[in-house]
Amino acid sequence: MSITGADHGEGSRGIVVDGVHRSFGSVHAVAGVDLTARAGAVTALIGPNGSGKTTLLLMLAGLLVPDAGRLTVDGVDPVTEGYATRARVGWMPDAFGTWDSLTAREVLTTVGAAYRMSRDAAAGRAAELLETVHLTELADSPARVLSRGQKQRLGLARALVHDPTVLLLDEPAGGLDPRSRVDLRVLLRRLAAEGRTVLVSSHVLTELDEMADDAVFLSQGRTVAAQTVQAAAAARRTWRVRALSASALAAWLTQVRVPWEPEDSFTPPSDAPGALLIALDGEASAAALLTDAVTAGVPVTSLAPVGGALEQTYLSLEEERR
Amino acid sequence: MSVRDATVTRPAAAHRGTWSLTWGGIRTVAVLELRQRVRSTRWIIALVVWFVVVGGITALATGSVSLVSGGSTGSVGTAGTGADATSPLVPTGPVGPTVPAGPVIFGFVVFFVLFLGLLVAPTLSATSINGDRNAGTLATLQVTLLSAAEIVIGKLVASWFAALAFLGASLPFIVWALAAGGVRVMALVVTVLVLALILAVVCAIGLGFSALTARTSGSAVLTYLTVAGLSAVTLILFGLTAPLVNTQTDVKVYGVEGWDSEVTPECSWFTETRTVVHTERTWWLLALNPFVIVADAAPATTSAPSTASVDPLSAIRAGVRYARTGPETVVDECWTRSSSAVSPVPERRLDAAPVWPWGVGAYLVIGVGSVVTAVRRLRIPQKTLPRGSRIA
Repeated sequence: MSITGADHGEGSRGIVVDGVHRSFGSVHAVAGVDLTARAGAVTALIGPNGSGKTTLLLMLAGLLVPDAGRLTVDGVDPVTEGYATRARVGWMPDAFGTWDSLTAREVLTTVGAAYRMSRDAAAGRAAELLETVHLTELADSPARVLSRGQKQRLGLARALVHDPTVLLLDEPAGGLDPRSRVDLRVLLRRLAAEGRTVLVSSHVLTELDEMADDAVFLSQGRTVAAQTVQAAAAARRTWRVRALSASALAAWLTQVRVPWEPEDSFTPPSDAPGALLIALDGEASAAALLTDAVTAGVPVTSLAPVGGALEQTYLSLEEERR
Repeated sequence: MSVRDATVTRPAAAHRGTWSLTWGGIRTVAVLELRQRVRSTRWIIALVVWFVVVGGITALATGSVSLVSGGSTGSVGTAGTGADATSPLVPTGPVGPTVPAGPVIFGFVVFFVLFLGLLVAPTLSATSINGDRNAGTLATLQVTLLSAAEIVIGKLVASWFAALAFLGASLPFIVWALAAGGVRVMALVVTVLVLALILAVVCAIGLGFSALTARTSGSAVLTYLTVAGLSAVTLILFGLTAPLVNTQTDVKVYGVEGWDSEVTPECSWFTETRTVVHTERTWWLLALNPFVIVADAAPATTSAPSTASVDPLSAIRAGVRYARTGPETVVDECWTRSSSAVSPVPERRLDAAPVWPWGVGAYLVIGVGSVVTAVRRLRIPQKTLPRGSRIA
């Protein structure tokens, strides 16, 4: 273990996963995942249920041994250097329990003690984190009275107790109210801005649009795509254009040779307010189309992408899979 | 600002492996476990019920012993052997030597506490690891800097402390039995220590099974079966194996050879081939029994040797040492001799070496084995998972 912490240049920071496999009996939970999560950025891990996201995070947290492949977390191998990995990694599982009889504050001080912090340091850190996740008022009530969203926030605070440089968050937004989701986004952006590596798995794809810098798509245990959120936003996707007269809009679109589809495929566009779906290559083409429409006198009221940028990629991958 | 700058270089943490143990780590886990347990009110109720039940049994034992030994012997409250020594001189006393109630009450109470302890201890630890795993709280502890050994030992210490609380609740009654006379203070100390050790081993067994099985009901059943195996099956096996250790041996007998009603029976020496049971080959089955261990470890009572075997602890101690000594090859069967005559057969010499160290040694091996099993199961990163379980 003499190499612990020796290889610690800027180049080795972040998460690198290279051809990792892991099976449970005959189930190939992870069957060839490659990903890179940069330090100082939020990376989204996206995939349907059972695509291997949780298993991958368990391996990165140092809980599971991969059958094949290589992982490094800030340049440290979780398999051979478990202790050093655990000192760096903050892990928030998707389905976790809390010690019901302990108060929120005791949960955090206990975890602090488990990370070998002194009693005073753990108490100070607990108070700080309760403030961060807005649980100060509930600090001294038992964890069992917390709502699901509050438990989720407590779980996030627990993952941050030891000031980790790498954060692995499994569905952190589950059960959170809209206000807490905004707080979570702000907090994760700040943690990334401080130079930490943040890997988030989530199903709430529109959230990730605003939160993540990079996205990695998993399907059936494999990496199927990796792109930056910027690139996803620039990719060709479906937009919804709405006008006071759907039939006038349809006529104009046909005239300028933009293929369109009615939003409701059973009723043809009528001379009433309605929307049509068109495919556009990113925001520049959208702006150009809008200018042309307004110039042509089409009464356009809105033009917006259907769903988020990542959702489009996700759904296109789903289609390929079928 | 709640989150510090991640780029600050921190001192490299010293590496700790699966087996590293620190006092702080064990205490963290034990305090966590006890807080989880103590705050449920059911626990207090269980202790109160325990106190009442042990108290009731003590009262019953005291009452029935006084009845059997001829009403109030006056020994309750008078420490030592005063009652025993003076009773033959009291003409109005009951026929025969009075038995000091102390050892009998002490024996009953200690056995009852052990019996209840064997019932309670598995519930304290047998769901400790798989229960946490099912509740999703084990992995959050494993990813911290605690070693697997610290988690296991911490849980063991917590469940043992909880078991000791039950032992503590029974202490007043054990002391009460002591006050009834005939029992050395040393017997109390040794008995309580042995009880505590047995409870620790049972807790360790429960912990081992809870690490091995995915379901809490499975580990509870396995732990109870093990406890039942040690307490009852050892006795049954000892009985059932008796025919297997039979041999035909020439035994030297001093008695009446050939009964003839015409002649006054005369005792003489003769040799006969008899079936003898070599319990010296199977006595170790008894040594594994927790009740035998407690009985054998308790120092002898202060009563005279003739009355020593009346209380359950002394009777079992004599029995197991008899079994260990094996069959006699010289037997005194001269029943017709007048009581004043001296038997030519030398007094049977029992193997006086205590049996309990063997039992305690075996228990320590079982306990350490269970703890090692549990630690190996909690090692991370894991290669295999127990069937049907999830890490988190």
